[in-house]
Amino acid sequence: MIRIEGLGKTYLVKGREVSALDGVDLEIAKGEIFGIIGRSGAGKSTLLRSLNLLERPSSGRVLIDGEDITGFDRQRLHALRQRIGMIFQHFNLLNAKTVAANIDWPLRCTSNLTAAQRTERVAELLALVGLSEHAGKYPAQLSGGQKQRVGIARALASRPQLLLCDEATSALDPETTQSILRLLLDINRRLGLTIVLITHEMQVIRTLCDRVAVIDGGRIVESGKVADVFLHPRHPVTRSMVAQDDPLTAAMLDPTHAFAQDKLRGTLVRLTYVGDITYQPVLSDIMAASAVRFTILQGEVSSIKDLPFGQLLLELEGSDEDVRRVFAELDRHHIHHEVLQ
Amino acid sequence: MIDLSMIEWGDIALATWETLVMTGVSLFFTVLIGLPLGILLFVTSQGQLLEQRALYRVLSFVANVLRSVPFLILLIVMIPVTVILIGTSLGVEGAIPPLVVATSPFFARLVENVLREVDRGVIEACQAMGIRTHRIIFGALLPEALPGLLAATTVTAITLISYAAMSGVIGGGGLGDLAIRFGYQRFQTEVMVITVALLVVLVQLIQYAGDRLVLHFSRK
Repeated sequence: MIRIEGLGKTYLVKGREVSALDGVDLEIAKGEIFGIIGRSGAGKSTLLRSLNLLERPSSGRVLIDGEDITGFDRQRLHALRQRIGMIFQHFNLLNAKTVAANIDWPLRCTSNLTAAQRTERVAELLALVGLSEHAGKYPAQLSGGQKQRVGIARALASRPQLLLCDEATSALDPETTQSILRLLLDINRRLGLTIVLITHEMQVIRTLCDRVAVIDGGRIVESGKVADVFLHPRHPVTRSMVAQDDPLTAAMLDPTHAFAQDKLRGTLVRLTYVGDITYQPVLSDIMAASAVRFTILQGEVSSIKDLPFGQLLLELEGSDEDVRRVFAELDRHHIHHEVLQ
Repeated sequence: MIDLSMIEWGDIALATWETLVMTGVSLFFTVLIGLPLGILLFVTSQGQLLEQRALYRVLSFVANVLRSVPFLILLIVMIPVTVILIGTSLGVEGAIPPLVVATSPFFARLVENVLREVDRGVIEACQAMGIRTHRIIFGALLPEALPGLLAATTVTAITLISYAAMSGVIGGGGLGDLAIRFGYQRFQTEVMVITVALLVVLVQLIQYAGDRLVLHFSRK
């Protein structure tokens, strides 16, 4: 649905050129939830805003449904933006308008629905985001989570195919964040809406996204399925973000700090696996058939979005030959292993 | 001792009415000219909806020039222009053109500042929806800024009251004229005291009404 090719953006700051994006290539499929994660200043906001040209890229192309939007004139840009919804960290609601009027605003300005049709559509959207009772209130009378729900309803008003989320939950408390993420997931499934979001919170990516791209210094340093990137972070920036979000994974990625070295006798191995295998006694079977003994030093079984996964830190004791055979069995069952020492 | 027996209350009532007329009519034209000018200043400034640096610089320069002329001098400079415009430079009518010329750029600057205070994110959200610029300005920007615009209008109205009084120096009507002719030139301190007291009351009333309006339209 979206293809970004060699996207670059430079700003002129006090006569010096500063690069915000540098040769970004990305492909985002229809119907998926795609996350872009990075620290502040990494360029994620510039990247997201390039998708509806709130930010004009300096080089490269942005193709939406096969069309390069960077060359669009004003007319076509208006039409394009009407097909793309956007929600914001600080909601950006019109304070002088009621909740219902806020949702009606894009319809009034850009659709050719009659007043009655618009009223109906607004009621429908209010119900979708669970705010039917608050139609007549002003934004200042709402909580942060409710304001974001209005933002979402407004963004969906003209039935877009794409929703851009600019740090949509960063101003919300953890509980409200979860409820907004659930709403977004629900919308994605019910309406088949493609969602592109930027965030600095790994938690948001884990809960919501199918795929993720890690951006740093204006470049994509790593991208892929969330479980792959999360369980096997390669770039230092990704590793440090995973570490901050999940100390357990951090300890398993770099166990040398976590354990008394003199107590370790065997081979230290980290196993990771995703999917149905999480619920099967594969490890038990492999070990029962082997002379290798194992100690679990650390472990986690959880899920990323709705994909179950497990990761275990094991110390294996046995002959090299037996350990090799265990590794071969693990491979056969698609349990990824990495020898840490 | 203040002796109130010699005061012509009829004159004072008339002068008060004249002051109100001068202020009201001038305020009307000031808003009529200053509001579009202020909107234009804002939208053409750097990074805004219709950025036009050259136009902004010209408008900004003109506004600054008009604002840097002291009002008393403007009153005198404007005399020939006023005569051409309305046939006389005296009385209530004669005071209105210089008042409008003096306060329009002032009001325009206030409007520009008020619009600058509107959350940029809100405007950006409208742009992201694919809404046309004129609809963003009139349907979102101005309604969002309404309380600020009302406050700016209140400040301008009060400035007009004091300027209108000053126009008495060159023969404008109203309370200022009365204060100068009787209070100053004929040493009737009582008239001076009463006109000043009335001006204070007028200013208080306008401020009160303005504050109420601002509060009524505030949604924060």
